[in-house]
This record gives sequence, C-alpha cells and structure tokens, in this order.
Amino acid sequence: MNSLFGGLTHFQAQMFFALTVSVTFAFLSKRGAIERVKYIAWAFLAFLLVAVGIGWLMYPFSR
Amino acid sequence: MEETMTDETSKKEEPSGNVMMGAVAAFAGWIVPGLGHLLMRRWSKAAVYFLCVGGLACAGLAMRGGVFAAGAEDLFDRLGFFADLGTGIFYFLAHVIQTAGPDVAHATGDYGTRMFAAAGMINLLTVLEAYEIGRGRRI
Repeated sequence: MNSLFGGLTHFQAQMFFALTVSVTFAFLSKRGAIERVKYIAWAFLAFLLVAVGIGWLMYPFSR
Repeated sequence: MEETMTDETSKKEEPSGNVMMGAVAAFAGWIVPGLGHLLMRRWSKAAVYFLCVGGLACAGLAMRGGVFAAGAEDLFDRLGFFADLGTGIFYFLAHVIQTAGPDVAHATGDYGTRMFAAAGMINLLTVLEAYEIGRGRRI
C-alpha cells in the first residue's frame, strides 16, 4: 500500500481525493443511480477545475 | 407485480426508528465507516462509505501523513485531532497501518495529513446520516 500511494504524483493524489469525496457526497445527497452518476461526474470535474485554477492563481507567488 | 412494487414503495416511504437505533447506528458508523448503514440494511451505502473513507484514510497514512494526537495545545492541532478521530478504527490503527511513520517535511506527507483529516470529516457526515436513518427521519 505504501508503494501504491507513496508514489503518487500530486495530481494523481488530488484525483483520488476528488473521486472518493465525489462518490461519498453523491451517495449522501442523491438517491437515484443516474442522479448519483451525474453528481459524481460534476463534482469530480469541479474539484479538478478548481484545483487547477487555484494552482494557476498561485503560480506567480511560487518564486 | 404492481401490488408488490406498491408495497415495497410504501414500506420505503415510511421510515421507522428511534433514538436508540440512531445512536447505535451512529456509534457503529463512527467506529467502522459504513457499519452503521450496514446495521440499517443500506448495503450499497455501507460498502461505498467503507471503501471511500477507508481508502482515503489508508491513502493518507500510506503517503506518510501526520496523525494529530490528543491533548495538543494548539487550536489547529486540536481541530485536526477531532477530524482524525472521525475516521474511527483507522485512527486507532494508524500506527499499525503506517509502519514507516509520518513524514510531513515533504509535500506528499502534508497531503496525506489532509487526506486523513478529510476522511474523518467525511465519515462524520456518514455518521450523521446513519443516525438520521436509525432515528427514522431519513429513508
């Protein structure tokens, strides 16, 4: 397990985080299967977009 | 066939429960993520919550994230402790799962710390849902 998760890049770790949280929130807040799948896709993409967006905003301050 | 479906639907629409069932479900769900839902016969939710919370917690530990200890003086550390405690059994077994120990000097370890805390917070949400189901307020 250490070798599996310890070798993740930052983006891969962020994707794993986004996926697990999206799936959990979908099961917490939606009831139908289709509703859940839509929510997972939407939340997952939103997590990634916001993370990349914040990364770009912080880029000028990184050096 | 229609009668059967109507009966099943009406049963699902009429939740029953009490405070004791809610408390038991909440406690079980806190100790082992998804166990509260398992007791309430929500099979799919139980499996999903266990895999997601457990996966996130184990990933956080495998990335050598830090685990906040009890009795910290710093407010942030205290909040971190309560967040980590939300993972239930994963908090108590953290030192067994994380054999190499934490390494927050690197970014990966820092991400692991956040992942583990996030797993605890998410599990607290599932605990609340388990309580509501056991209480009969949620289907």
